[in-house]
Amino acid sequence: MTIGVSAIGQGLLFGILGIALFLTFRILDFPDMTVEGTFPFGAAVAVSAIANGINPLVATILATLAGMVAGLSTGLLTTKGKIPVLLAGILVMTGLFSINLRVMGRANLSLLNQPNLFKQGFLPQLPPAFASVIVGGLVVIIVVIMLTLFLNTRLGQGFIAAGDNPNMARSLGINPDRQKILGLVISNGLVGLAGGLIAQNNGFADVNMGIGVIVIGLAAIIIGEVSFGNLTLSQRLIAVVLGSIIYRFILLIVLALGFNPDDLKLISAIILALVIMVPTLEDKFRLKQTLTKGVRKDD
Amino acid sequence: MKKMIGFIVLLLAFLGVAFYFGEREISQSRQKTDTPTVGVLQLMSHPALDAIYDGIKDGLKDAGYEVGQDVKIDFQNAQGDQSNLKSMSEKFVNEKAAVTVGIATPAAQALANATMDIPIVLGAITDPVGAKLVANNRRPGGNITGVSDQAPLGAQLDLMQEILPKMKNLGIIYTSSDDSAATQAKMMATLAQKAGLTVKKYSVNSTNDITQVAAQMVQNVDAVFVPTDNTIASSMETLVAATNAQNIPVFPTVDTMVKQGGVATSGINQFKLGQETGKMVAAILQGKSEPATTPIHFEKTGQLIINKQQADKLGLKIPAPVMQKAQEKGKIIK
Repeated sequence: MTIGVSAIGQGLLFGILGIALFLTFRILDFPDMTVEGTFPFGAAVAVSAIANGINPLVATILATLAGMVAGLSTGLLTTKGKIPVLLAGILVMTGLFSINLRVMGRANLSLLNQPNLFKQGFLPQLPPAFASVIVGGLVVIIVVIMLTLFLNTRLGQGFIAAGDNPNMARSLGINPDRQKILGLVISNGLVGLAGGLIAQNNGFADVNMGIGVIVIGLAAIIIGEVSFGNLTLSQRLIAVVLGSIIYRFILLIVLALGFNPDDLKLISAIILALVIMVPTLEDKFRLKQTLTKGVRKDD
Repeated sequence: MKKMIGFIVLLLAFLGVAFYFGEREISQSRQKTDTPTVGVLQLMSHPALDAIYDGIKDGLKDAGYEVGQDVKIDFQNAQGDQSNLKSMSEKFVNEKAAVTVGIATPAAQALANATMDIPIVLGAITDPVGAKLVANNRRPGGNITGVSDQAPLGAQLDLMQEILPKMKNLGIIYTSSDDSAATQAKMMATLAQKAGLTVKKYSVNSTNDITQVAAQMVQNVDAVFVPTDNTIASSMETLVAATNAQNIPVFPTVDTMVKQGGVATSGINQFKLGQETGKMVAAILQGKSEPATTPIHFEKTGQLIINKQQADKLGLKIPAPVMQKAQEKGKIIK
């Protein structure tokens, strides 16, 4: 049971990453590679700050701000520097690798026996893994509410419009470049937040912890979309978080079935591919149904 | 929307049940089963790390634990994806493993974060104190003890000075993102400076940097030291190509790297470290030792391995006593 609770907790924390990717990948419609650098950046900032005696809550906020700065760099490179967004992200991600080493002073920094957000107040008294559910749940609720409020403002609507159709947005007096920067800043701020929280929950930060996080975020988005169908924008944010929880459960099942660990990556890739193909397969299936129905009617 | 609310209700119900039964689950967790489970968590597949795992199985067998009969091994490998480490550690806690083993630092840290009472044996972690896994190498104090893969750096430095008495500038090349490599590089730098050498450290980020950094390095040094470093181990040939061009000898810490073009090492044997780890696990299973009072095991003397072919190529004369020692206790590659 504990392991299921832990999967929910981790799903919630990685759900923040999923929401962040949703903003750039789905709303603004571009891939942001910065994420693989921002995630360990947030972790490095949070863990180093705590190691230096800073309050974990403040450290987590610093991680978010650090992520925003990284997003701003990518945003400026791509809009002012005219570097394609994919490349700009990769450049910032590469640069962040060295910065992360500088921030931590070494490749791996541990938090064992130090305070963190998951060990404050009444949280340690809860059954194991419940701290991550409560902290993760709270942060997710705050993030979803704030994003919903933001997306319903004039600025937020402009943000959505800029992603839908930059040319039309420009004709309406919206500056798509500014929206792009804004999206990257918010999104990477959330990634930094996720990195800071997950490092505290794991008990350490490591410079290599960003490898593969884009896949985790995209998996959350896609599983959420496939599982819960047509939704309003703010409901889709929640669906992404639920998708992230489902992804954790899928991994858990794969682990529990006792597959050869060497095959783990292949299995998760196959499962993801299948999930992504569900709508296509369903369409084909329905197509057949309607065809046979049509034939019967003719009879 | 209905589906989504249904799913959220399901999740909350599950959490409610788990909360209600949570306490009971813990009180049962100390029950002993007939065949104890040993949970082994490895960061990724890699020849050195795999050799440790093989050594662990061998060490357990030596201590009378036939894998599959007297002991069950649950082997998990995160394949480099650190987000898996946490779920895997919790799986061990959940299945009430008797002992867990962490191979590579992040794996051990994930285990340490998952449990405060199940014994954890470190399967070759370079710097247990630096990684904050134990408070003290002699008397760990908590539920963690184990084996360090720190190369016997003092012996290694002695060996380098014996072969190259005139050495003044020592180059150290390592990967900055590899915590154990960076730690060893730092330790070797301190030792060598104390011995009166000028040390120049060169770090790389990935295998792609090695050619350039090595070309720069060989201009400034008389010999090159390589710590236990996964990245450089996998591109040793690249490094040797650059050093051979200037007739500069390379002294690695791992036996396989000597074969690939290093001159000599007083190095560690990963398999042997694994065996030592396995023995420690067995001792804990038998109740003969407690992690809190078991000191971290360090290899004091390494295995002397000399690549004669490479030494001849560089025009190096290996002193007779060293050759003799390698012949008797170590290995000579001809």
